Amino acid sequence: MTGTAGLERGYRRWLRWYPKAFRREHEAEILAVLLAGARAGQRQPAPMECLDLLRSALWMRLRPRVPRSNRPVFAAIKLMYLGGVVELATAITILVTIGDVRSNVANRNPGLTEGEWHAIAAGQVAPVAVAAGIAVGFWLWMAWAIGRGHRWARIAFASFFTLNTVGLLHGLIQGSAVYARPDLAIGSVLWLVELAAIALIFHMKPAGSPSA
Amino acid sequence: MQEATFLILTALAAGSQHGYGIIADVAQISDGRVRLRAGTLYSALDRLRLDGLVTVDREEIVGGRLRRYYRLTPEGTGQLAAEAARFQANAAAALARLGLAGGTAG
Repeated sequence: MTGTAGLERGYRRWLRWYPKAFRREHEAEILAVLLAGARAGQRQPAPMECLDLLRSALWMRLRPRVPRSNRPVFAAIKLMYLGGVVELATAITILVTIGDVRSNVANRNPGLTEGEWHAIAAGQVAPVAVAAGIAVGFWLWMAWAIGRGHRWARIAFASFFTLNTVGLLHGLIQGSAVYARPDLAIGSVLWLVELAAIALIFHMKPAGSPSA
Repeated sequence: MQEATFLILTALAAGSQHGYGIIADVAQISDGRVRLRAGTLYSALDRLRLDGLVTVDREEIVGGRLRRYYRLTPEGTGQLAAEAARFQANAAAALARLGLAGGTAG
């Protein structure tokens, strides 16, 4: 039985990757299934068993906890992933085209020194790239939180939407429609994605409600 | 519906089963082609319970170990029947076009 005890300890170690609530309800029965399926004389979990438990545990932590019949939530989550992709594309575009930006700035200011360029990059270009990177994380976080049924996520996303709306309107008033059309275009796309996601998450059934 | 999910629902179609029973039954139904691991099985069962297709039937202790039996809900039975009919229709169409359908080959 010492071999079984060692095997059980090994399985329990891997089961720790699962969410606590899931372990409380299912650890004993999963353990029974793992032990029933173990080879005669097996003393340690097999690598493929460990990989399967790890993969399932991580998926259990990340995937949406709402019924598939709650379609608005899944549509909102997909839109949030789309928003993240657009933000990521924005951040990559800023980083890839930094040389072009520098050329344009230099053309407009022929006497631009290295120090002045660094000041512009640090003060204007870098914050936009960093903000886009943070926004990617925020979109993904919101997609996860909405999928897990966290009510605070609705409020957080609505606040994000409000801030972006104000920012977009401020940009329009400041004349970005004339001076920064790509910026305005990408901002408008993101705003529309946010608007659609907001409409969906405020019309969805409460998370965890039984399927219709 | 993924094949593993379809096979789990099929395993439960004849009556309630516990986790290891489902794994063994899925292997038998698929002629040994699909061998579910415990992590994959419980991930699928969790999703099926959340979707209202499967529910816990009963629990018992055997040899000091917990056995939880699962069964199909009426919605699960309906979805499995619909999916099986869809597979059957697709298979019939494929076999007919290949000229392999019994009695209908042209």
